[in-house]
Amino acid sequence: MVTALGFCALFGAMVVGLGVGPLSMPWGHIIGDVASHLGLGHSTLDSLQSTVLWQLRAPRLVLGLLAGAMLAVAGGTYQGVFRNPLADPYLLGVAAGAGLGATVAIVQIGDGLSTPAWTPWLAFAGALIAVSLTWAVGGRGTSASLVLAGVAISSLLTSAQTFVQQSSHSSIARVYIWLLGSLGGASWHSVWMTLPYVIVCIIICVAAAGALDVMSVGDVESRSLGLPVERVRLVVVAAASLGTAAVVSSVGLIGFVGIIVPHFVRLLVGSSYRHILPLSALIGATFLVLTDTVARTVVSPSELPLGVITALIGAPMFVLLLRARRESLT
Amino acid sequence: MSAVVARHVSVDIGDAQLVRDVSLELAAGQWHTIVGPNGAGKTTLVETIAGVRQPTRGAVEVSGTSIHEASERLRAQRVAFVPQHPIVPAGMKVRDYVGLGRTAYRSLLRGPSTRDHEIVSEVLNRLDIERFADRDVATLSGGERQRMVLARALAQHTMVVVLDEPITGLDIRHQVDLLEVLRREVEECGLNVIATLHDLTLAAQFADRLVLLADGQVRAEGTPHDVLRTVELADSYGVALQVVNVGGSDVVVPVTAIQQGNVPTFS
Repeated sequence: MVTALGFCALFGAMVVGLGVGPLSMPWGHIIGDVASHLGLGHSTLDSLQSTVLWQLRAPRLVLGLLAGAMLAVAGGTYQGVFRNPLADPYLLGVAAGAGLGATVAIVQIGDGLSTPAWTPWLAFAGALIAVSLTWAVGGRGTSASLVLAGVAISSLLTSAQTFVQQSSHSSIARVYIWLLGSLGGASWHSVWMTLPYVIVCIIICVAAAGALDVMSVGDVESRSLGLPVERVRLVVVAAASLGTAAVVSSVGLIGFVGIIVPHFVRLLVGSSYRHILPLSALIGATFLVLTDTVARTVVSPSELPLGVITALIGAPMFVLLLRARRESLT
Repeated sequence: MSAVVARHVSVDIGDAQLVRDVSLELAAGQWHTIVGPNGAGKTTLVETIAGVRQPTRGAVEVSGTSIHEASERLRAQRVAFVPQHPIVPAGMKVRDYVGLGRTAYRSLLRGPSTRDHEIVSEVLNRLDIERFADRDVATLSGGERQRMVLARALAQHTMVVVLDEPITGLDIRHQVDLLEVLRREVEECGLNVIATLHDLTLAAQFADRLVLLADGQVRAEGTPHDVLRTVELADSYGVALQVVNVGGSDVVVPVTAIQQGNVPTFS
């Protein structure tokens, strides 16, 4: 029932994401155009509308779906593997590493006027290097030592990012725009660059949901129950981090999705990760598409940074969720 | 036939030697209780026997399997472990928690099988906790919670169950309830129980054999009747003890300063 509602919400968000924008397009015409691409009937959109729909809104919608689903699943996965309700996809340094990579690209490679094409690649590399460093420092200890290593590496890389950023005043605004996240640069190219990582990583995380349920009793007890804790943690953390790195390199840093969505889903379906992770993918995708629609329409033709909108919506929702959870326990 | 064989097991943490050259052969189908004062190394020893702690030296065999060389899965099919303070994740249903005991028998990619469900239901019935199987684990009382944790261990279908202070925090009724459940498992199912207990009287009432541990070493081993009357017992605890037979059961009574007429004064 909840899953069916999740799919309905996702479908609604997709319709809104495709239909809402400065260029008006009736819903019926959009559905007709989509159907015509599937060989059913004829499109009634003019060429401008069709171009906006297929070259701007559709890739933006798909990238939003991928990013929202991945961030929510990665957040839920991290919360499970570290038994920490405050864990988010950036816990092990993905954000700091990607931020440093992107800043280096913008400041050192770019011309100060535009974001260079290398930015996603350096962000991706930075994210992976950060997580690898974190794992090298804390991966052989307990979950807590890995989290502490993540905090240390994040602090180090954030300092380096700030240092690089301050060295070029002309690029600061562009760095900030990237750091606050946006789907404004979405293209089919960025979709295809992100899609394989997201699909594979979500499948791995969801497949490991049963193991995450076992890990809820802690490392020692999980091991005594027969779970190869270290191996599961390595695979799951690698998948969640890789997927997050792929998303962050395409859309920048979008906060709150990875924390708020799994907690919201937990209220709906209980504590089993077998239910939390698949539904988090659905709700995360829905949430990000809707917030992106808000980000690109409220001050149209300008856009608000997506990270600002997710935080503005996410923070109050998070407070309400915490209150609801507290009341359900009393 | 021994259910558990420990050979020259030592556990060091830093400079501290928590367990020193312990060798034990625990016969099958019996309940062994490890007693000893705080800091004796009881928890370290049972964690090592259960395979959740690696010995610095020595080896442990459980049901013929070298427990520290076995995979996690095989180890969990040989020995179940109930820690002193089990983590009980709020939000999980009792039935699902007990189902965690089936982890070693199923693929991580698949959910519980019909057989897993049958075993969980059977264990819930056996321990008389079926009635709250669908409750959130966070809502259970201490006694109900300990039964649930024991049910998880029994769902592992091992011949050896290791429990570290299983009656800590329970009132006397729930202590006896839990120990009776365990005793029934030993009598009816041939389960091998290895437990640590602080209460010497209860240890003597329920165990077949006692192992007295002090300073990481075995000081005495034998039937409760014999071990409770050893000089080493009082020495290990550093207090005078008197064993009184009440209705056929040994009751251990500390001989306090008050009983000796030396009432302490506080100034």
